[in-house]
Amino acid sequence: MKLIVRLILLAGLLALAVWSWGFFFPTPQKIIEKRLVKLARLASFSSKDGNIKRLADTERISLLLAQNIQVVVDIPGGKQTMFDNREELLQAALAARPAVKDLVVQFTDIGVVVNSDRKSAAALLTLKAKIGADADWLIEELRFTLKNTNDDWLITRVETVKPLR
Amino acid sequence: MAIGRRPKRTLARLAVLVVASTVIFKFVLLPIRVVGYSMEPTFHNRAVNFINRLAYVRGLPRRGDVVGIRFSTSPGDTFHLLLLKRVVGLPGETISFSGGHVCVNGERQDEPYLKLPSDWNVPGKTLGPEEYYFVGDNRSMPPDQHEHGIAERARIVGRVLWKGND
Repeated sequence: MKLIVRLILLAGLLALAVWSWGFFFPTPQKIIEKRLVKLARLASFSSKDGNIKRLADTERISLLLAQNIQVVVDIPGGKQTMFDNREELLQAALAARPAVKDLVVQFTDIGVVVNSDRKSAAALLTLKAKIGADADWLIEELRFTLKNTNDDWLITRVETVKPLR
Repeated sequence: MAIGRRPKRTLARLAVLVVASTVIFKFVLLPIRVVGYSMEPTFHNRAVNFINRLAYVRGLPRRGDVVGIRFSTSPGDTFHLLLLKRVVGLPGETISFSGGHVCVNGERQDEPYLKLPSDWNVPGKTLGPEEYYFVGDNRSMPPDQHEHGIAERARIVGRVLWKGND
């Protein structure tokens, strides 16, 4: 019995050590994944949010994006929309906000591949978005491209991917 | 809390149950809830079902199978969102739509599961060696508003367990 207790304790300590290592020394994949989750959180808003919070969130989003970010959105039943730089994208987002009361954005099944130069990476994920409280979920596959600038992973391209083409 | 007269045995049983459930519901029978109307009337919105992940271990997808298709082809084995569609085209075939019906190499197919009216006319697409054509049973909306088309075999997660109102 004592041996079992010791083994369980040892396994617990090992798990704690592994978790601590990952927490204090995260891999680029983990850093990028956290950034994308943060982006989804910042992009979400509710009608209860004040203007200051909205502006602050938009400012925080801008810190995650490269100046020359390219966004290509092509969803079934809609026309293709493109943005070629960060300001254009953020202005469009701010302009659209009064027309939308609530927006919930979630990124699931995030898979990150860091290139061998460790300066660029790609992330594939599934977007779940709900525009308005009673609306259906919009589900799209997205591909993010990121580059590492001064130890900071910035998003350089976002595009929708059609699972069925 | 009642854990019986033999707590060790109860805990061991509990551990086995947890491990078995995790393995079964992650790697064998994936529980799903249908959201949307693209598979009506075979599968209704909010219906619950399972995806048999072992369905194609020994065989290949067949025409008429309803399968789960993973959205993201990201590495890893995690997926929380799937497309539920019917296989209508197999590798090497040319798939088109005429009057709402699937045509395989120009030949109109008998589709008993098709209950809603459709007037789709879509030109042919030829599938590659590892490619399949997927479409929902509800073709009452215009084709550009219905997610359908070609995907690789690797995107297929498995076959739906209960066949619905086929």
